[in-house]
Amino acid sequence: MKSVFALAVITFKEGIRNRALFGIGLLALFLFGLNVTVAGFFMREIGKVTVDMNLSAISLAGLLLVFFVGVNLMAKDIDRKTIHLVLSKPISRAQYVWGKYLGILFFVTMSLMLLLIFSCMTVLLLLKIYPDYFLGFSWSIFLVACFFILVKFWVLTAIIVFFSSLTTSSLITLIFSLSSYIAGVTIEEVVFYLRSELAAQEKIISESLKNFIDVISYVLPNFSVFDFTLEAAHGLNIASQRLLVSFGYGVIYSTILLLIASFVFSRREFN
Amino acid sequence: MVIELKSVSKTYNPGLFKKKVKAVNGLSFDVRQGEVFGLIGPNGAGKSTTIRMLLGLIRPDKGAIHVHGKPLRQSPIQREVGYLPENPYLYDHLTLLELLSFCGQTSGLSAARIKARGEELMSKLNLLDAQKRPLRTFSKGMLQRAGICFALLHDPSMVILDEPMSGLDPIGRKMVFDLVMELKQQGKTVFFCSHILNDVERLCDRIGLVDQGRMIREFKRQDFLQSIGKAAFIHTSELSQGQLDRVQSLGGSIRKEAGGHLLAIPNDKYYLVNNFLEESKIEILGCRSEWRSLEDLFMLTVKEQIQ
Repeated sequence: MKSVFALAVITFKEGIRNRALFGIGLLALFLFGLNVTVAGFFMREIGKVTVDMNLSAISLAGLLLVFFVGVNLMAKDIDRKTIHLVLSKPISRAQYVWGKYLGILFFVTMSLMLLLIFSCMTVLLLLKIYPDYFLGFSWSIFLVACFFILVKFWVLTAIIVFFSSLTTSSLITLIFSLSSYIAGVTIEEVVFYLRSELAAQEKIISESLKNFIDVISYVLPNFSVFDFTLEAAHGLNIASQRLLVSFGYGVIYSTILLLIASFVFSRREFN
Repeated sequence: MVIELKSVSKTYNPGLFKKKVKAVNGLSFDVRQGEVFGLIGPNGAGKSTTIRMLLGLIRPDKGAIHVHGKPLRQSPIQREVGYLPENPYLYDHLTLLELLSFCGQTSGLSAARIKARGEELMSKLNLLDAQKRPLRTFSKGMLQRAGICFALLHDPSMVILDEPMSGLDPIGRKMVFDLVMELKQQGKTVFFCSHILNDVERLCDRIGLVDQGRMIREFKRQDFLQSIGKAAFIHTSELSQGQLDRVQSLGGSIRKEAGGHLLAIPNDKYYLVNNFLEESKIEILGCRSEWRSLEDLFMLTVKEQIQ
């Protein structure tokens, strides 16, 4: 456990000191600033637009963090053969996978927490300026939506670690992870559409394609379950059961991926 | 025997439609407790592959690797080994102090021990002033020395060094040389690969020459002296046939060298041969400490292999 923690700490430090972080942070701050500037243009929708823009800015910054910094934190180790040096120490391959995962997870969590503080300040400012347009707004639902953005990135981090354990290049890891993310965000809509009556009328959609998508929908991550933007924007209550299912899904999906990654990594050769 | 390789083979599969590469082909050798063993060979001879198999980073296709008499899988060497890879890529944004702290924690050292040992090594390798700087600001030689600190921090009983002198300036080379000599005096087992044959020759008790994944020849220190006995080695300009015959008749041995001849003159015949050289006004180009250098033996053996 000490080795896992030591590896997680250096991975976190390596990530948090990356200069790309400043660029991503500035972009997020620009989006928050833009929100403050343009909020007045949206008449009665100011509250909804503010919540929407803030959650989108956090989500975009998180994506950039994970794909531009997170990917390199493990894949570059293998790319540049730093892993030879690390594995020459008494660290098992599985410990390496979990250590890297925890390190990236700390890094993403800390970075998003910082952004969340700025986001809350933006919302607070707009709440003071336009109090009449935030009637349905609830801090607790907003924070829950932010937390599930974070859970989404925990799952995405597990996907990155999984692909890093399979491939030898950081570019391939990036391509596979990005593809999984895009597919994961849209898969729920595709499945719902195929089950709808509208799809039943379409003759071009073959049964085999439907079956294939049905199977693949269990394998791909379903990122829609972590999306509570609509509820946060409209101040709608979220059933605790739904929150539990979403959180449980994220934890179980990540754990399974990391277990497979540890298994594959233990058998892998490092030339 | 600390390490024993028995007919080990490894073939790399570079991918679809590409020819397989046989990196190691039936390699056998052993490294004994407390000795400095050097592995030399041309590029692509299989030296780094051998080290990676020893560390368990790759698995041999055939053969067996034993450590302290047990198969490698049953007795991983990570706890007792310090490893320096060729051109170590360290974490760019970490400081040397943080890197050493990580190394110590994974090796189970206490914080106080990490600090003491880290300072000792950084002082020996002249890195104390750079300990709080990010590793990305280090020069190639400094990174190499930082890699050595990383390898030796937990005071391993066995050290594996892959091209330890690579990228070092003469002062850095001297530091590493002294460090390896110190490890030798402490009774540690050192296994290293290098292209700088002069260093290998001075440091190693035994040397293995590998080519195309096979052990071609093993040398001991005595092999460099051959059977000349006590003699002085003088490098002269090109000698005529008559001069060569005369030197031989006086008891000297002769070997053709680049730009002249190398004479081995037994100590008791030195004045005789020297008088002849003086009388004949033969130009003396220099002296050598041995009859054949490791480089000579290396080139000779590799040439024999090619033929």
